[in-house]
Amino acid sequence: MSRHSDASRTNATPSDQARWSAIWLIYLREMRDQLRDRRTLFTIAVLPIMLYPLVGMLLLQIAQFSRQHPTAVCLVGTEHLVDGPPLLEGESFATDLTEDSDAIEMMAYRWDELTGNSGSKNASQRNASDLDEMVREKAKRWVSEGAFDLVVLFPPDFKQTSLDQNLIGSANQETATPHSQIALYFNAGRDQSVVARGRVASILTAWRGEWIKERLSGVGIDPEVLLPFDWADQDMSPKQTRETAFWSKLLPFIMLVWAMTGAFYPAIDLVAGEKERGTLETLLCSPALRCEIVWGKLGAVATFSMLTALLNAGSMLMTSSLAFKHINIAGTSQAFGAPPLVPMLWLFVALIPLSCLFSALALAVAAMARSSKEGQYYLMPLMMVTLPLVMLPMLPGSTLNIGTSLIPVTGMFLLVRALVEGQYTTALFYLPMVATVTGVCLWAAARWARHQFENESVLFGGGEQWELGMWVRHLWRDRQQAATPAQAYACGAFILVTLFFARLSVAITPTDFAGIAKMIMLPQVLIVFPPLLMATMFTTSIRESLRIRMTHWTVLPLAVLFGVTLHPTYVMLSKFINHLYPVSAEAAEAMKPFAEQIGSASWTSVVLLMAVLPAFCEELAFRGFIFGGLVRERGKLRAVAITALMFGISHGVLQQSIAASLMGIVLGWITLRTGSILPCVLIHVTNNSLSVSLDRIASSGWEGAQMFVTQTELGPSYQPFWTLISMGVATTCLLYFGTMTPAIDESDAEIIADHQDYVDPTKSLIAANGV
Amino acid sequence: MIHVQQLTKRYEDLQRGRFTAVDGISFTAKRGEIFGLLGPNGAGKTTVLRILSTVLEPSEGIVTVAGYDVVRDPAEVRRSIGFVSNNTAIYDRMTAWEMVEYFGRLHGMRRDELRDRMEELFSQLRMDDFRDVPGGKMSTGMKQKVSIARAMIHDPPVLIFDEATLGLDVLVARNLLAVIRSLRDAGKCLIFSTHIMSEVERLCDKIAIMYRGKILDTGTLDELRQRHQEDDFEELFFGLLSQHERENGRVSDTAVERCEGDVLA
Repeated sequence: MSRHSDASRTNATPSDQARWSAIWLIYLREMRDQLRDRRTLFTIAVLPIMLYPLVGMLLLQIAQFSRQHPTAVCLVGTEHLVDGPPLLEGESFATDLTEDSDAIEMMAYRWDELTGNSGSKNASQRNASDLDEMVREKAKRWVSEGAFDLVVLFPPDFKQTSLDQNLIGSANQETATPHSQIALYFNAGRDQSVVARGRVASILTAWRGEWIKERLSGVGIDPEVLLPFDWADQDMSPKQTRETAFWSKLLPFIMLVWAMTGAFYPAIDLVAGEKERGTLETLLCSPALRCEIVWGKLGAVATFSMLTALLNAGSMLMTSSLAFKHINIAGTSQAFGAPPLVPMLWLFVALIPLSCLFSALALAVAAMARSSKEGQYYLMPLMMVTLPLVMLPMLPGSTLNIGTSLIPVTGMFLLVRALVEGQYTTALFYLPMVATVTGVCLWAAARWARHQFENESVLFGGGEQWELGMWVRHLWRDRQQAATPAQAYACGAFILVTLFFARLSVAITPTDFAGIAKMIMLPQVLIVFPPLLMATMFTTSIRESLRIRMTHWTVLPLAVLFGVTLHPTYVMLSKFINHLYPVSAEAAEAMKPFAEQIGSASWTSVVLLMAVLPAFCEELAFRGFIFGGLVRERGKLRAVAITALMFGISHGVLQQSIAASLMGIVLGWITLRTGSILPCVLIHVTNNSLSVSLDRIASSGWEGAQMFVTQTELGPSYQPFWTLISMGVATTCLLYFGTMTPAIDESDAEIIADHQDYVDPTKSLIAANGV
Repeated sequence: MIHVQQLTKRYEDLQRGRFTAVDGISFTAKRGEIFGLLGPNGAGKTTVLRILSTVLEPSEGIVTVAGYDVVRDPAEVRRSIGFVSNNTAIYDRMTAWEMVEYFGRLHGMRRDELRDRMEELFSQLRMDDFRDVPGGKMSTGMKQKVSIARAMIHDPPVLIFDEATLGLDVLVARNLLAVIRSLRDAGKCLIFSTHIMSEVERLCDKIAIMYRGKILDTGTLDELRQRHQEDDFEELFFGLLSQHERENGRVSDTAVERCEGDVLA
């Protein structure tokens, strides 16, 4: 029997190799299943086809509706307009003052009409300022009640002043009394009112221009002196770019949002829904491999995501081309033309990878849910995280450059925009970067999805009711030697959130050294406090959970050497990052007193404050507690990547964050290989010390230092030859670290959970009840 | 066909902490034999059967099914088993025929071979009149028949039934038991878990009584009766359970006493 099974085992295909036929089968089944679902069909096919025409129709109706309500303006005090060029022509504004063709519905009143007793003798008895107040009150009421969008008051004094100021030079603000000014009453809370104010203000400006011309010619000056030159706008953008400018921004956005939504619902149904109905277990005990199931489902979800996006974009394009054709007859500006169809085909190029990315993410997240309802709760945060990446390219001024091309999703989006606008060379230049970033994201997302399907606690765990008291007891009772991954995540999230609020609370940069010391120490305390507390409360060994372990003795001096030799590369990297994402002038200005104080303080205190303290605090937190938690359950890659990311984010300033994230990857790998945070602490101390003392070394005047560091006008910098040599030495050190075997992480930490001497604590309770 | 040695399964549980669902059990089931796993709810039966079907991984111990190790060769194990349980539901938007065909194809069966096998199975299980009924419209009995057809489509040497009669009416349950018997006669190895004693008495060649993750006793029905000097199977079952409870209670009592002694000393 065993001989036979051995033979068949060798003959059989390797069990972890996915078969295309099985993936295809699963894909077909999921597709058929989804297509038989009325709800899915409605959301992906019927809704988009119906939605845009309906919305378009509604918008047209609303547009007509709002056009029937022209701007309503009330003019009070027409009798005071006696002098100067005409403002009014009959019951409306003079046509040469306005370029706008839209009608303004105008009511004109005389001032004394509003006082309510024109011509009667009471008027003369009343105080003039009382009457003035009365009119203004009435005007205010009209605006606030919405009877008019805007009320323009020409007060009685206006006539007087305008007559007085017949000469040039007397028209200065100081002599004008407030009661002689034209008053525009409007309501900033209503759009209509704001528009009315803008329109009337421009009419008044034009009217004032007429006055000036008139007065200038009155004193014998040619009004043309006021216009020494004129200019003409010439748009040099290619025709394609101009036509697509609007659509190339909007359409990718619409498409990506729909690709996301289109991925979510099938993902929930295909994973969480199947879990709920129990069909997932049926599939899991069939010969299909986990990876085949994941790929099949991923394919189906991605197909639906793409279909949804395509149908939506297609329907929207069609509706809008028809709508714009219709509106164009009425005459609209060229910038808002109908969408060009052919360049939009480029969108499909981006759609495929992005749909796959969203689908993989949605699948992985949905795997955590036990029911469809729960799945919807989980996908909301995912959407919240992804949406900013889609919104970012919509911001004005965001263009494709090295910086933006490295941001996932955003880079792809901008690349497609460049393609749609016909900038093929730019697109081709950034294609490798965008493709790499997108590829890496896709790979990571697919891996995560697969990991979720191979994790039995994700697939079968967590059926019981959650209760706070029980959970707290569980935390204490089931303490382990090191943190669990969940505790590690919680710790990292807690650190980042507190850091965020701490940064907000420090509003101004302190100017003395004590203030700066406080400012630096506060985040460090916030970083080190949660892991220390959690290590004490939730683990059985503080030392183990913080990964304070002795390594082979050679590692420690090598760590210092590595720190020294890595620093030139680190400096080069920071400069490159600053070149990619330049620091704004204000930020640089704000940092100036800070740098001066640091430069004048004693070297020892600076090193203690900026090198030793952060090194210990950050390493204990990130490479210690959090890494120790994440590295368990075969999470080596996860531990390195996530601690590096958290370490980066904790630095707050974008440029520093990027450099720190990259540094975090190196440190994470070293702690993984050596199993301890001690080398990382040493590297961190050395690196930070060199950063804060480079200036002093360069200006020390010692000849030996000049061999390595020179003072340039941009600050101290390493000699090129030393940079080169140090890179070699640093690589050698890294190779040495690579030879270390992380005995502890691979064997013990993985099975810490299994205490051999563990006794079920409920046994005695149940037994006591039973007897 | 099925060898289980010192199988242990632990998992994290909010209420009970690190919980040992299956605690060092061993048993063997041979071909042409119905092996019954009897125990109250929560005894760990489903966990054992899920490990046999490679859906869960054992924490400790060695499990081989039809000569394949469940950890090293899970795919081969799944090829050699058919798994029917209450949790293995069927797809709502697939007809009986499509459902069985789908799993047959997943097993890598050729189309013509699959068609013949399906015709045979559908007539054998008397499923021809609801071939084209979608899963959502089937009765519980129909669903269970489809599940069995699905598990038997590739003619596996080992069949696993996890509380398969739960929720079925007498008629359908009886039918199912008849199917199981005919499978034994065809030389299959069957493992059958239940908490209904009469089913075990009527059906099983060999019985293991499970309680709190442990097998309290195992053997044929006659062996068990002789060993415990109890003819009534129900009495036998409860006797075993309460005996275990008493022993366990004593053990934990002494543990508590010892701890207190330590503190005092």
